[in-house]
Amino acid sequence: MSSVGTMQPVPDQVRADLLRPLLRTSWKFYSLVLILGAIVVAALTAWATQMTLGFGISGIRWPIYWGFYVTNFVFWIGISHAGTLISAILRLVNAGWRRPVTRCAEVITAFALMIGAMFPIIHLGRPWLAFWLFPYPSERMIWPNFRSPLVWDFFAINTYLTGSVLFLFLPMIPDFAVVRDRATGMRRRIYGALALGWRGTPTQWHRLETAMQIMAVAIIPVAVSVHTIVSFDFSMAPVPLWQSTIFGPYFVAGAIFSGIAGLIIAMALLRRFLHLERYLHPVHFQNLGKLLLMMALLWGYFVFNERLVTYYGNRVSDMQVFWRTQRLTFAPLYWTMVGCNFVLPLVIMGISRFRTITGCVIASIGVVIGMWLERFLIIVPALGHKYLPYSFGVYRPQPVEIVITIGTFAAMALLYVLFAKFVPIISMWELTAVQHPGPALIPPATAEHPLGETHA
Amino acid sequence: MKAIYGLYTEGTAAQRAVDHLRAAGVADTDITILSPEPREDLAFSHMHPPTYMWWFACLGGLIGCATAIALVYITEASWPLVVGGLPIVAWWPNLIIMFELTMLGAIAATVITLVVSAGLARTRQGIYDPEVSSGSILVGVERPALAAIAAYEQALSTTPGARIKKI
Amino acid sequence: MAHKWGMAADLDRCTGCGACVTACHAENNISTVGAEQAARGRAKHWIRVERYWEGEFPDVHMKFRPVMCQQCDNAPCEPVCPTYASHHTPDGLNAQVYNRCIGTRYCANACPYNVRFFDFFNPSWEKPLHLQLNPDVSLREVGVMEKCTFCVQRIKATAIQAEAENRELKDGEIKPACVQTCPATALVFGDLNDPGSEVSRLARSPRGSKLLEDLGTLPKVTYLSKQTQP
Repeated sequence: MSSVGTMQPVPDQVRADLLRPLLRTSWKFYSLVLILGAIVVAALTAWATQMTLGFGISGIRWPIYWGFYVTNFVFWIGISHAGTLISAILRLVNAGWRRPVTRCAEVITAFALMIGAMFPIIHLGRPWLAFWLFPYPSERMIWPNFRSPLVWDFFAINTYLTGSVLFLFLPMIPDFAVVRDRATGMRRRIYGALALGWRGTPTQWHRLETAMQIMAVAIIPVAVSVHTIVSFDFSMAPVPLWQSTIFGPYFVAGAIFSGIAGLIIAMALLRRFLHLERYLHPVHFQNLGKLLLMMALLWGYFVFNERLVTYYGNRVSDMQVFWRTQRLTFAPLYWTMVGCNFVLPLVIMGISRFRTITGCVIASIGVVIGMWLERFLIIVPALGHKYLPYSFGVYRPQPVEIVITIGTFAAMALLYVLFAKFVPIISMWELTAVQHPGPALIPPATAEHPLGETHA
Repeated sequence: MKAIYGLYTEGTAAQRAVDHLRAAGVADTDITILSPEPREDLAFSHMHPPTYMWWFACLGGLIGCATAIALVYITEASWPLVVGGLPIVAWWPNLIIMFELTMLGAIAATVITLVVSAGLARTRQGIYDPEVSSGSILVGVERPALAAIAAYEQALSTTPGARIKKI
Repeated sequence: MAHKWGMAADLDRCTGCGACVTACHAENNISTVGAEQAARGRAKHWIRVERYWEGEFPDVHMKFRPVMCQQCDNAPCEPVCPTYASHHTPDGLNAQVYNRCIGTRYCANACPYNVRFFDFFNPSWEKPLHLQLNPDVSLREVGVMEKCTFCVQRIKATAIQAEAENRELKDGEIKPACVQTCPATALVFGDLNDPGSEVSRLARSPRGSKLLEDLGTLPKVTYLSKQTQP
């Protein structure tokens, strides 16, 4: 049996382990929620202040009209690509090692999307009118401009959010049924409502799995389109270094890259705090670590491509921004980014001795920092240094932007902690199902794997 | 009597019970089987009618695409505002809206088909036993004929230690 | 035939006095923001005089260039606005509809000339300046974008007057505030679709060039200068 199979606990143990966080709450949970909640409240207060006092309290200025908020927007939408890659693609290729990982990943997607989708509203001058992006018949002739990348953003993010939330929710239904049967009172009613009419007939199982297959096929192109459309927010404007045809694939690769990093961090924390050592094995982290390495190489390839083409183009305004990031004002941030995104993952993930859980987490934290910096370095240096020297400017982030940025990280952690408290973070039925694989999943016996064992 | 059913901890035992029930003359559609996870390795897992979910998903996609084309074409032609020298009805950017609404249609159609075909929204459900969610497989017959109850009980008791319940 | 409004700016006449900037503020109800906020980049000069130094001491000389919205025919600011607040009018102007603007500031990022300004605060005027506001121009609340409109209120008012008097518009009849105020008559406004108008003549001048022409924005302001462009 493969190493994953021999360490698979019996179904009763699985259910007991995975339901424990729901049934037992320690003081650590309450204190964590309190601290994270306080930071989130601070961020919301900062936003309310910005809405009342006006945008002047932020660091936005002529001509750098996008700063931390749009950086965060692109960053969080990028993080949301974790779930799709892991869940959908691995589900389609029937990779067994994805089973304990799918829900952790899908949760990141759903919450990162919700947080990321807040930023187009936070960064608006008149956020109370954000609903004008929705095409509704209006007496005032308000109508969205379908030629604008921001309207594409609206459609794409809403489609992806709907798809991701459903993709997350559907496999939770059987698990809700399990919790419903063990809960009493109000909790029983709530989980009963969430479990819909789930009983577990063969028809229901088959329909559920078919639906998951279709959703997996549908959600992958949507995810690719979402970050491509986010990249179009930049490549549709004639700003030096922005109008690059490589932005679409570059952003998608970067999104998957940062998503895997976010997933590794979340999984490591879950393993530690919810005592899921029996379910999240080092091999899971190693596999994700290899994916992280591959994405680091891909990221490096895209950056090299973009830089070399710009260098040969040698256009005045392009090269000014080019040197600004590489040698002048932004050089420290730029080279930190390269170190975090390329050097660190290559060293840690490339050398198998370092590819431990701790190593993966260190590399992932570096990637998260590096990818945030990458988004910042795409936006701010270019906007501050466009074409007419008289209108160049320097961006200085103000407390309101910094507080809101930190608040989003706290919000992500808070939502994740609350989710893990109310829903089993690993899909119980998918884990127990792997112990009874269908005939199609059992490959024929070979000398290396006698008796046709599964390679879960 | 609402139902007679047995609870089994082993999948093979449940399969045997199903086979014996069929031998006792119960139609496939009348046998209720509930399991805590999908059991692809057992034959009873495949006793379900075929699904047309893929077709409905494609249909949903088509509806989404048609909605998008109508939305962009009719509204852009009705309010012809020139922006940046682009044509009034610009098909390249419209393709993006069409793609997103197509996928949204496919996803929505899939979920609706799932809810309807799996009977998830029904207020009156069939029998259920909480033991199922703890790991047992339930095999039984709902609203059995009075005369046949003894035969069914016999069929369900094929495994020693099987718990038979009548409700 | 429809009008196509354009301007010409003679850099050899411009002295950099800045009267056009002041006139624009007065005509279009543009509030000043104070020295501190201006240093933080919040000033809203719909027309600004860019000043560049050329050469090394003692051979230095200054160049002035008044830059206002170029009302580009291929405006990059227009397709990116999600609410059609920035769109092209039939008479060739880039319209900024304050009521539709939700303040995404994408148009300002897309504008290569950096002539679009965001209202960071609600406008305020120190007394008694609040008494000199122009009733023909709306005040912009915090959160919307604003920019030079070629004094569209003057264009519309003069056109309505001419129609009421049942006559055609004369060349030079419409004068935006900057054109009216310039003491060196460096700025000219007129109809580019009228081949006989002053601005059309200047647009065809060998001294004429467009700003950032290679970006393909098709701007409608012609800059006239005897020296070679850098």
